[in-house]
Amino acid sequence: MTLSVRIKKALRTSGSRASARGGEERGAAAQGFSLDVEFDVPPGFTILFGASGSGKTTTLKSISGIVSPDSGRIAIGDEVLFDSSEQKDLPIRKRGVGYVFQDLALFPHLTARANVEFGMTRLSRADRRRKAEAMMEALRISHTAARKPREVSGGEAQRVALARALAHQPRILLLDEPLSAIDEATKRGIIADLKSINRELRLPIIYVTHSRQEAVSLGERVIVYEQGRVVASGEPISVFGTPVTASVARLTGVENIFSAKVIGKSEEAGIMTVEVSDAEGSCRVDVPFGNESLGERVTLAVPSGDILLATEEPRSTSLRNRMRGTITAIDDDLNRTIVRVNAGVIWSASVTRQAVSELGLSRNQEVWLAFKTHSCYLLDRSA
Amino acid sequence: MAEIDWFPLTLSLRVALIATAFVVIFGVALGWLLARHRFFGRELLDAAVTLPLVLPPTVLGYYLLIVLGHRSPIGNAIEAITGHSLVFTWEGAVVAAAIGALPLMVKTSRAAIAAVDTNLEDAARTLGESELKVFWRVTMPLASRGIIAAAMLAFARALGDFGATLMVAGNIPGRTQTAAIAIFDAAQAGRDNYALVLVFILSAVALVLVYSTNKLTAGHR
Repeated sequence: MTLSVRIKKALRTSGSRASARGGEERGAAAQGFSLDVEFDVPPGFTILFGASGSGKTTTLKSISGIVSPDSGRIAIGDEVLFDSSEQKDLPIRKRGVGYVFQDLALFPHLTARANVEFGMTRLSRADRRRKAEAMMEALRISHTAARKPREVSGGEAQRVALARALAHQPRILLLDEPLSAIDEATKRGIIADLKSINRELRLPIIYVTHSRQEAVSLGERVIVYEQGRVVASGEPISVFGTPVTASVARLTGVENIFSAKVIGKSEEAGIMTVEVSDAEGSCRVDVPFGNESLGERVTLAVPSGDILLATEEPRSTSLRNRMRGTITAIDDDLNRTIVRVNAGVIWSASVTRQAVSELGLSRNQEVWLAFKTHSCYLLDRSA
Repeated sequence: MAEIDWFPLTLSLRVALIATAFVVIFGVALGWLLARHRFFGRELLDAAVTLPLVLPPTVLGYYLLIVLGHRSPIGNAIEAITGHSLVFTWEGAVVAAAIGALPLMVKTSRAAIAAVDTNLEDAARTLGESELKVFWRVTMPLASRGIIAAAMLAFARALGDFGATLMVAGNIPGRTQTAAIAIFDAAQAGRDNYALVLVFILSAVALVLVYSTNKLTAGHR
């Protein structure tokens, strides 16, 4: 069953919107942009990816019914949850949505088990208990059953929230940045659990995150949000590999984004040359031939993972862009290492920690940067 | 010591308990309405409910006399139902005490309910619960401390009402003379020992209530 979503909603700072349930505007972080999105969610993981405040949480709240869109349509298969043209707006409790809130929203006055059991009032007490215990067992949190939410660890609390959302067998699952406050090791465990849940249940699952890593490990499909609009969607590899706008680029970890000017074009060679410059220096880069005109200002993006580092000049390769520079910094993140090289402007190259040690890279060392023209993207004007 | 007339105290207790019962029900309902719903005239309603807190007691009492008296439709309706007017009766004292205590209850309940995270209520809704269940199983338990404290304060206030009660119920010994009024009466007549007994008891009750309220609402969590 596919979830289809079409939402238009004006978001304002708290004050006047009467369309939100309960009379108070909830969760709208933005000042004055509007949400205008349309997409489908088939069974499996669909990642909503974007910066904080871009409308992802409001989308989840609209789907669950906590907030009402100004117009649009939300339906699971043929069952309509919301349709502004038909004045249909199903109450929250009838939508069959499992929602894991960003702050978990675990009931502090109830034990973990009571939290997971909450809501299944149509079942007998014994059935409720059985379902809750089965779900807690599956997520390996049976040992927390009698504890209150403040007495369990972050990872356990996350699992309790997940168990609670899944226990009543929802038709769709909404997860709002579930792993943001969790350490790496626990994250991996929960990601594994989510994957097996996905394999078993095959529900439409919307997973909101601003972590590229989570998007890539879980996402069968990524939808990129910016200022309330969808700016890109597709498989993680293509969305993150070929950024369409500067903001998507920045969001998806393309670290090299520069303003440049077209200084040469050769249709027969299939390339254009652009000059990147800043206050300190400049360099020339060959990019694939395009429609831009000579002298035009463009925005150049090169993914940091596409840049090769060498301790001697790379010869006899197809790499058209080769430049010499000096290492200004080596930033070691848990997942990857970024080497910053000054070759006129400062470039960021993403390499493995092992490569750094094998090549013996260090600050102030002279290195060569190299990358193909095809790794160069000229972005849309919208920065 | 001469024989002590306990009637004013037992009357005050009866009046305060019944008044508090009404005040808790209406006060929590109003507090919830004001905390969770936005509607036209909301702050006007809040102001109207707060009024008894700042009006001079005799002004309040006068308004009540008008509303409950012979010339008002409400007064006549009550007389038709109960057989007598509320003016100069202990039931009138209940109304006066309740009106005086309502603002406290509403304000404190509103704050206690507003302090409950709306995400929790929304989560309860996504799990399939009706609005009533959400209220009883999530909002109330989490607001309970504040509401119980408010009820205690309301009781203390109802116990000690003077000005409005005097105007509406009068000072009829053995019928409508509440403890606060009896103190006034005794002080005027020079029966200081009796006045002291009543003063001491009322002070002790008030102290216990305020102490308990503070303990309930002090830092927990």
